[in-house]
Amino acid sequence: MDLSIVLTFLIFGLPLIGFPFVIGIGFLKKNYSMYLGTSLILISFLITLYIFFSYTVNGIVIQYNFNWLPSLPAIIPMGVYADNLSMIMSLMVSFVGFLIILFSVGYMKEDPNRHIFFGEMVLFTSSMLGLVLSSSLFMLFIFWELVGLCSYLLIGFWYYKPNAASAAKKAFIVTRVGDVFFIAGIGAAILYSNGAALSISGLTSIHLAWQQTIVALLLFGGAIGKSAQFPLHVWIPDAMEGPTTVSALIHAATMVTAGVYLIARTFVLFPYGSIQVEVILYIGVLTIIMSGLIGLVVNDIKRILAYSTISQIGYMFAALGLGLGATSIGLAMYQLEAHAFFKALLFLTAGSILHAILNVRDVNKMGGLWKKMPITISGMFIGVLALSGFPGFAGFFSKDSIITASHNAGFLLAWILLAIGGFLTALYSFRLFFKVALGKPRSYAAEHAHESKWIMLIPVVILAAFSVIFGIFQRGFYSFVETGSAPGVFGISPLNSMDLVPVVLMLIGMGIAYYAWGRPSSIPQKVANGARDLYLLVKNKFYIDVFYTNVIAERGVLGMSAVTDGFERKAIGGLVNASGRLFQNSGKVLRKIQTGLARQYALIILIGLVLALLLLRIFMLVGVIH
Amino acid sequence: MFQLSYLLLILALIIIASAAVRGKAARYLTILFSAIVFIFVVTNNMTMTNFYYGTLSILTLSFQLNFVSSILLILISFIGIFIPLRYSSSPGFFVLLQFLLFSLVGIFTTRDFILFYIFWEMVLIPSFFVIGIWGGKSKNYAAMKFFIYTHVGSVFMLLGIFTMYFTEGASNFSMATLISGIGSVPMAYQSFVIFGFLFAFLIKLPTIPLHSWLPDAYVEAPSEGTVFISSLLSKMGAFGLLVIFSPIYMASSFAGSTAVPIALIVLGIFSLSYSALVALYQKDMKRMMSYTSIGHMSFITIAVGGFLYLNGANPLASQLLYYGAVFQLISHGIIIAMIFALVDTLEKAAGTRQIPSLGGLARKLPVLSFLILAAFLASVAIPGFSGFVGEISILLGSYAVLKYYLIFVLVGVVLTASYHVFALQRTIFGPYNEFLGNITARKQDLLVALFPLAIIFILGIYPALVFHIFNIHVIQFLGGIH
Repeated sequence: MDLSIVLTFLIFGLPLIGFPFVIGIGFLKKNYSMYLGTSLILISFLITLYIFFSYTVNGIVIQYNFNWLPSLPAIIPMGVYADNLSMIMSLMVSFVGFLIILFSVGYMKEDPNRHIFFGEMVLFTSSMLGLVLSSSLFMLFIFWELVGLCSYLLIGFWYYKPNAASAAKKAFIVTRVGDVFFIAGIGAAILYSNGAALSISGLTSIHLAWQQTIVALLLFGGAIGKSAQFPLHVWIPDAMEGPTTVSALIHAATMVTAGVYLIARTFVLFPYGSIQVEVILYIGVLTIIMSGLIGLVVNDIKRILAYSTISQIGYMFAALGLGLGATSIGLAMYQLEAHAFFKALLFLTAGSILHAILNVRDVNKMGGLWKKMPITISGMFIGVLALSGFPGFAGFFSKDSIITASHNAGFLLAWILLAIGGFLTALYSFRLFFKVALGKPRSYAAEHAHESKWIMLIPVVILAAFSVIFGIFQRGFYSFVETGSAPGVFGISPLNSMDLVPVVLMLIGMGIAYYAWGRPSSIPQKVANGARDLYLLVKNKFYIDVFYTNVIAERGVLGMSAVTDGFERKAIGGLVNASGRLFQNSGKVLRKIQTGLARQYALIILIGLVLALLLLRIFMLVGVIH
Repeated sequence: MFQLSYLLLILALIIIASAAVRGKAARYLTILFSAIVFIFVVTNNMTMTNFYYGTLSILTLSFQLNFVSSILLILISFIGIFIPLRYSSSPGFFVLLQFLLFSLVGIFTTRDFILFYIFWEMVLIPSFFVIGIWGGKSKNYAAMKFFIYTHVGSVFMLLGIFTMYFTEGASNFSMATLISGIGSVPMAYQSFVIFGFLFAFLIKLPTIPLHSWLPDAYVEAPSEGTVFISSLLSKMGAFGLLVIFSPIYMASSFAGSTAVPIALIVLGIFSLSYSALVALYQKDMKRMMSYTSIGHMSFITIAVGGFLYLNGANPLASQLLYYGAVFQLISHGIIIAMIFALVDTLEKAAGTRQIPSLGGLARKLPVLSFLILAAFLASVAIPGFSGFVGEISILLGSYAVLKYYLIFVLVGVVLTASYHVFALQRTIFGPYNEFLGNITARKQDLLVALFPLAIIFILGIYPALVFHIFNIHVIQFLGGIH
């Protein structure tokens, strides 16, 4: 086996094999787990860097397949596939993952179960690395499931909190709903290509448009679950019950980006103008608007960030949904990477703040923190600027390009909605920032906030730097991702006046945010009172959660469960017992003739004889017997 | 080559020795017993081996070690080692257990219908006594129900065997002869044979609505009894479907017709969702897990239905279904054994197995909680655990048969995952139930639980171990079916 192949395996194999040791070594001394876990991911990152610079940039695609079930006629391929797309993902996952784990060293250092925490974080990161480097849909699915498992374990890490236990369950079940679509998608891919499409490079062997549509939509069903898009987005706000670094990992480096990657990876199934790209586009757009609105009324700092993730992932799907071939992949992946940097930054700064103010998550209880924690809040400021797409920051280059591309490609409705989404993004992200940073501290904890330790600040500073400078890589990034893929349908066109629309909307949003939340004001209250119905609709998250919990889970599934259980006990159990009783009772009746008295038996025999003779006589009379 | 006749002789001698000696010896002899079964399978190189010892009147002393029986014999030896390690039951129990394992070896290897029927009935005896003697509160009810219910199924199977014998005018009861001749008899008789076998196997599997013996038997049996009943007895039905029923069906005039396969698939899908819904409502963990067993076995029904439906049309999907089903046999056998053993450990530690009385056990019983978590994850078929391999193979293969209807199977998969994590949330996670006080689990029990867990992991990560056995026989076996 070639060295490059071995190294590619090691990127995810090393932390995957290493994670039990991370937990195990913690039984000696808990801090060892932190060091071992951090270094494992660092090594993965370094290997990725090496492969990236010595192979990928030279145009070498590393590919290796083996049969998972050797000596079986049914071929289930497994292996690694490291092209530009995988490597750019792998770089981001290992780099951002490393920074988050480094931050966790400071953040989790008091936790008594931190050895388990670090083990699970390492497994989480390695599963995601395995996912992006998989050479077959089947192997991708295996890591897909492991990512889901890790999120379940980590969201429920503080298992003794009832909310955490419940949120973990919710995340598991909701993403499981998506996963089964993925399974069906793989099944369909096997059927329509006679097994060839199991490997990534064999996806092209699904030729017919309707077959592509079925496979593509089923895979997208899986992507919706993992990437928290409407209608399966409900797990991610609840998932905030886990430690904040877990949220950072889920939202930036792993998990939610998996769905976007899956669609980008299988993009040959999403040709321009097909039904499937249309579905992706409008699911993405709908999700952006919905989560943008909810983000405006939520008060939990982590949940605001969660809804912002949902909406930013929506942009990635919208970019893919334009169906512009490699151009779409470039747009989506660039947004994905930029988002990874600034979202990790925002979560880590949020974690830093929560660490300082004793885990009070309500933004109304914060305020005036800029003076108390200057570095952290400056980091958050950069994150917010990047998130809302302020010119010059990463989010500007990534998001506005998507909005512009939708205009250039002629999706007018999508363009309008995406631009409004940008306005909402600016609004909610600056609402968050102004409430946290400006004004006076609104609680005792906020008054006594203090800056975090250096180990938590280093990742913040690095991520902040990337959120600022990432923009300069834009053109290079697009052409890098597009190499090796099929050429795009449309190139990125030169700037025109319409491109200013999103920027202007963003600036207006920022201004309104300052006017409403940057200073003492009663405007938000007045607006809420003025549009009471709309406000309640948004405040209740469009009643989607309520619908799932009350109608589907409780009335639907639990109700059905109660009915089935009743049927099981009364109908089936009753029927079986009744048939048992039937035999028992007939036995009881017949038993009575077994008295054991010889005289009685003689009598019965006599009666029987008489009856038999009588019958014989009757038969002879009738003529049956002669 | 290790002769099967020697194996049966040695095993019989060990049973007699176990019955004769006093004290703990029977327990250790069970381990020896199982080790010998294991050695037998391994030394025959797990290949397809035929053993023929002539005829005895109408009996044909013909046996076969094929890939399904190899795997089931390995499962037998696993259970035969796991139970004595885990439970220190009374010597009588171990003698009965050996008797049961002996009968199972017979069932899985014989190629004669009369011997098959005799072994099939022999299994009932130890199970009946184990439930009836060491069972819980309503043990008599459960034992009776179990015995009568499964016996009714066997009677139909026996009638099916006789129908084949007399209508074909055969001179003996050899499976090969009777199965190959089934296509030549009148349709009415063929239908009856197929119905008889199907009825017996579906009761044993069990599939809903023929399952009502199962929850009572599992719940009332002592934990060690539940372990072997759930792990091994359900395999009799599965073995029957895969190795007896499928060849009969494919040799009959029904081959290629879709009514029976569709019925099987529908029953399987129904069983999966139905068992998950009932399980969701259970408060007793042991009862809940007995429905898990039904859910796992319903994948076998779906796989066999799909396999017969395809009738060789799509080799890739057929293989995925058939091998997936066989893999599911060993995987389920080990996972369910581990689960019931853990439920017992939990009950001993906490004094209850009622879910509402538990909660937050991860704090006081971290190791046990980890093991329960791992077993549950294996049960919901998370990759890395053996449950994944069988389930995913069957799901992927069944797309070729079911297409959009696969959604109904997937609903069952989600429901299964739901009640598992819902149970976890209420037992090992959440706030600790302070009424439980200060509790600890027996260390030996936890240690022994690592044994099945290790196998579950190894098979999950490297399923090629089992698939290697498949490969040797596949061509011969499938060749035999057509």
